[in-house]
Amino acid sequence: MLFSSIPFLYYFLPCVLILYFIAPRCLKNSVLLLASLFFYAWGEPKYVVLMAISIVLGYVFGLLIEAWRGTKLSKFFLILSLVTSLGMLGYFKYADFFISNFNAVTGLSVPLLKIALPIGISFYTFQILSYTVDVYRGEVKAQRNFISLATYVALFPQLIAGPIVRYSDVAVQLESRTHSISNLALGMRRFIFGLGKKILIANALGELCDIFKESGDKSVLFFWLYAIAFTLHIYFDFSGYSDMAIGLGKMFGFDFLENFDYPYISGSITEFWRRWHMSLGSWFRDYVYIPLGGNRVSKARWFLNIFIVWLLTGFWHGSAWNFIVWGLFFAVLLVIEKLWLLKLLKKSKVWSHIYVLFFVVISFVIFNAADMKEAFQYIGGMFGAGGIPFISDEWSYYLRSYAVVLIVAIIGATPLLKKLVLSIKKKPAGEKVMNVLEPVVMVVLLLMMTAFLVDGSFNPFLYFRF
Amino acid sequence: MPTKVKNIVSVCIMAVLLFGLSFYCWAKPADEFSDSERRKLDQFPELTWDSILSGDFMKDFEDYTLDQFPMRDDFRTLKAFSRFYLFWQKDNNDIYIEDGYASKIEYPMSESSMNHAAERFQYLYDKYMADKACNVYFSIVPDKSYFLAEQNGYLSMDYDKFFELMQEKTDFMEYIDITGLLDITDYYKTDTHWRQEKIMDVAQKLAESMGVTLSGNYTQQTLDNPFYGVYYGQSALPLSPETIYYMTSDILEDCKVYNYETGSPVEMSIYDMEKAYGKDPYEMFLSGSLPLITIENPNATTDKELVIFRDSFGSSITPLLVEGYAKITLVDIRYITSDLVGMFVDFEDQDVLFLYSTLVLNSSTTLR
Repeated sequence: MLFSSIPFLYYFLPCVLILYFIAPRCLKNSVLLLASLFFYAWGEPKYVVLMAISIVLGYVFGLLIEAWRGTKLSKFFLILSLVTSLGMLGYFKYADFFISNFNAVTGLSVPLLKIALPIGISFYTFQILSYTVDVYRGEVKAQRNFISLATYVALFPQLIAGPIVRYSDVAVQLESRTHSISNLALGMRRFIFGLGKKILIANALGELCDIFKESGDKSVLFFWLYAIAFTLHIYFDFSGYSDMAIGLGKMFGFDFLENFDYPYISGSITEFWRRWHMSLGSWFRDYVYIPLGGNRVSKARWFLNIFIVWLLTGFWHGSAWNFIVWGLFFAVLLVIEKLWLLKLLKKSKVWSHIYVLFFVVISFVIFNAADMKEAFQYIGGMFGAGGIPFISDEWSYYLRSYAVVLIVAIIGATPLLKKLVLSIKKKPAGEKVMNVLEPVVMVVLLLMMTAFLVDGSFNPFLYFRF
Repeated sequence: MPTKVKNIVSVCIMAVLLFGLSFYCWAKPADEFSDSERRKLDQFPELTWDSILSGDFMKDFEDYTLDQFPMRDDFRTLKAFSRFYLFWQKDNNDIYIEDGYASKIEYPMSESSMNHAAERFQYLYDKYMADKACNVYFSIVPDKSYFLAEQNGYLSMDYDKFFELMQEKTDFMEYIDITGLLDITDYYKTDTHWRQEKIMDVAQKLAESMGVTLSGNYTQQTLDNPFYGVYYGQSALPLSPETIYYMTSDILEDCKVYNYETGSPVEMSIYDMEKAYGKDPYEMFLSGSLPLITIENPNATTDKELVIFRDSFGSSITPLLVEGYAKITLVDIRYITSDLVGMFVDFEDQDVLFLYSTLVLNSSTTLR
């Protein structure tokens, strides 16, 4: 079920809110768990069993690891946990990728499994992994209440597109959390603004990207318009979803960590990845990069660690070569920055921003390509390869038609608006005005987004495929 | 307003809105049909284990909730206003408004579709007309974007090239150019079609090109039912209703009109007053979409017969051509396959006119 859908907004959410808030404290997790299973089953009725198995395994391994702490058995159960979790992820997400590449290399024709990707498997697998690893490290206690652990894994606000919530971050809240009007108001506001980012901006930019892909009138500037539109689209789509997840979490008393921090204002790729999909970046840092030795090793080993992490990061996003290339593309940039570029970038804010945006735009062209052939074709198109014209009628029309959306998106991708609101709020009169405006804006936004949903057809979430 | 009060107000307002609309969704009886969109609305889907396990129920339920959402038309209007006047987008659902006329972006030119249409026409010509003594003519009705799109900065296909290519692909027919006789005011503001009362000159040009003279003596009648064209619903904007005028004469009164939809002739009238007050009043012209109609005119000035292969634009212009022909047969090969046409039309000593709009020629998969 999509957050940005009528069934979620006007059927599922009101019912869950009522049930949750009338339920006694001891049953609140159970309500959330049942609601989450229903939410997941709505989109994947068959794979709800797979998720249940993953949860049971995570629960059992957590207990076993803790019970045998300090012995080799503890490590054995951890490895077993890693193997089963990653095995399921590998089977459902990557099997056909490996088979098709095996076929390509050997010339054999092993039949593909053609398994539908279970929604959110990458996210909930990583959450379960972080739990068992943290239990092994002794950073958290194993959860003895199955409902609590299942609620943590299946919690619908973050279940299918993150952010990747660490068990350690919500362990206390799973047992006891506070509900208040201010949390509810904050959560609603965050949810509505996230929904707005998704429906009003990301969907419009997504339409533009689809128009470009279907166009028979491509030109150099149309390629650039597409690349920029997609770069903004993926940010508003994913960060909008994260906002909604964080907002919903808040409404139910959870504090999820932030997942985006205006990544497009970064002055380096290193900074970009500290601001983009922060929960994934920190997951790889804590569970892969640092265990590999991080930067406290020889230079060669350090760079190898970086390449391993970014190979896995790319691969996590999808079982296709373009995702691997996308990850390695960042690895190369990060290594270059660490070698000498970072010092240079600090000398010019303007050039550092241009550099970041240029390579991020290129990276997302690779990311969104159907395969590497298309990625090369699109990047070539951006630089006039293939003898395409510089401008075209369609570019001109769609630039004019989407100009306001693009401008709003560009401004919205920076903290300008946030700074403006905060500066207004600093003055007592300004705060009063903003306090009056806020509920009005929320109502207008909700009505407008409902209108776009009722009349709209373009509404996919990009990160559902991960 | 203090922050604490603001929070309470925010939660209360949002709760009223969210739960209010939610309750309305649950409580509202399902509508069968949308007048503005001219389509049946999805109903609550069948709930079975199979439909749940396959995911069909969920998908159908989502479609149902969209179709049956309370105040759907108002929300669609809000979305259209937001797109046009907040985000300054040029079109909504490919519909744009210019000079008060709603039109749909007709772009790009589809040569494969034009080829398909030309291939169908060639097939009809080879099968029924090539060895008969009949004159075959072809004319294209430009859609509203011909007059509006390019000059107002909307995506526009190259209409000159379109007409030129279609003529090249149908060189077995004599082409009659009517574009010079038309301008945007000859069309309804909210609909795709041309206005019957404005196209007498087009009818005369077509007839003259086929060797028939029309007097054009008609009385203009006014339909007392507001007309909201097809673009009214698609644009979702509060466009003003229009008036349909239709032309009557004693000659038309005396004509015998037969509908062959069921295979055997059923008498009908030139102007279907039941449909004039129905969901699409434009269907009053020869009852809208029908595969085969004949009009017999006992008071014709000639004994000539005409076969018109046509789309919906032909419905409103045919009554203006009747005067000059003893019999007109209208064939719509979107609703009857070309192979069956010979069962109803012999093509002996008959003139044949292929009259199609750019809209159908550029999207001709429905031609059979």
